[in-house]
Amino acid sequence: MIGQLFRLTLRGIADFALHPVAQLLTLVAVAMVTLLTGLILVGLHNINLELLKSRGEVEFQVYWKAGIEVEEVLKDWTVIKKMDHLKDFKTFTPENALTELASTLGETGDFSWLADNNPLPYSGLASFAVPPSDQEEGWAAKLLTQLKMLPGVDKVNYTPFQADLAQGWMTISRVVVWPILGFLALIVSLVVHNTIKLSLLTRMDEVEILSLVGARPSYIRWPLITGGFIQGVLGSGMGIGLLTLVHSLAAQALNFPPFLIEIQFLPLAQLGYLAGAVTLVSMTSSWVAVK
Amino acid sequence: MMVKVDRLSYNFGAYWALKDISFTLGKGEFLFLTGHSGAGKTTLLRLLYGALPVNRGRASVAGFELNHLKKRQIPHLRRKVGVVFQDFKILPKRTVFDNVAMALEVRGMPRTHLERRVRAIVRAMGLETKSYSTCERLSGGEQQRVAIARSMVANPELILADEPTGNLDFDLTMHLMEIFKQFHTYGTSVIMATHSREVLDCVPDARILHLQDGRIVTDGEPIDPFEDEKEGGE
Repeated sequence: MIGQLFRLTLRGIADFALHPVAQLLTLVAVAMVTLLTGLILVGLHNINLELLKSRGEVEFQVYWKAGIEVEEVLKDWTVIKKMDHLKDFKTFTPENALTELASTLGETGDFSWLADNNPLPYSGLASFAVPPSDQEEGWAAKLLTQLKMLPGVDKVNYTPFQADLAQGWMTISRVVVWPILGFLALIVSLVVHNTIKLSLLTRMDEVEILSLVGARPSYIRWPLITGGFIQGVLGSGMGIGLLTLVHSLAAQALNFPPFLIEIQFLPLAQLGYLAGAVTLVSMTSSWVAVK
Repeated sequence: MMVKVDRLSYNFGAYWALKDISFTLGKGEFLFLTGHSGAGKTTLLRLLYGALPVNRGRASVAGFELNHLKKRQIPHLRRKVGVVFQDFKILPKRTVFDNVAMALEVRGMPRTHLERRVRAIVRAMGLETKSYSTCERLSGGEQQRVAIARSMVANPELILADEPTGNLDFDLTMHLMEIFKQFHTYGTSVIMATHSREVLDCVPDARILHLQDGRIVTDGEPIDPFEDEKEGGE
């Protein structure tokens, strides 16, 4: 049984030499489909990175309770300074805040009469820049909660628009990007399936003859699946190779003002999924092409 | 009984290729199927080797009830039946040896045993010097001998031959008929569809079943099935 399986696998490999032109054309077609799919995925990947980069920034205005001891405020400030992804943290004592307010208002901002009875609390402006990789669901809300939980903090203001946009992109990713990827997968499946099926037309005589001499369907199909596997692996490998080449030529194409975007290549896992999907479709098509 | 057909009919849409035919074939019997093009000879043969489903009437071949034949049983039926076609149906890019060995490889026969059997039948067919030539380099007669060798190498109980000499000249036809007769003497049952009077004359004791418009008009009677052609031609 194992011996026969091994022989059939070898036959599937050797059969490549029987119709070299048809096999080569199929290989090129599979490689081109992989390249086109890869280019679309690179596009989506970079759009995703850019949007997450800008949406990962959020600012919080933090106000401490009035009349609180300065040691407690300093303790909270130390905690905030140690928080992950903190980009900038401006702190204001009541005196600083009054001066800042006066300077903002210019000539009309003379609040010296309030110096002895300053109503402003300790405050701070904390800016966070959360990288795309750490933007799990509700990351902005979690930061807000962390700040609010500090013992001396009275209230925290933030721009809901910023945080909502950040969360919104995550939702859009789910609602729009996944259907696009699904549609892409469908197109790839159909194109690769039809390509492989057409290439197998050259072998229908062999299939018919094998069937006439009493071969079981699995005996007929195994060499074809082996061929499909080789077509899938080589075709997707060639496609990814071409994708790497195109990327190396175009990586800096948008790296100039005002864009300043360096086009990133697909992560290894995504390349693996792409090659795996193409190979799987190729093998499945080889199986179902013979009825 | 090798073949038993009872009230068998088959239609392609509105066209009835076979209408209510019945006959039997014993073990070791030689049967010619004659009739004009479209008489139903090929359809009958295709039904007998499981290429078409038996829906109306009953048929059994080599112990397989074709009415209840499951898809997975078809390979088992075909291992008991050798099929030869007018257009040879061999793989031109493979060698003579590979084409013949195919029928044994699908059965999982050990390599040494397989090689012995294939060499023997290739020798019997007079093709030993061409064993490792690709079939595309062979003449029509040689290709048909390869096809016959492939159908016979596994010692089938029944040979179904659909106009096997249709593309060959007189001398080759006579040579191939000698081969068929030789296998027949070993006890193999044969059903052969033919148009040719010369082919019928090669096996004078064979039974003749004449089909016309999908019906059997004569079965085994000592009449000339081409009589109507002769009359029409004169």
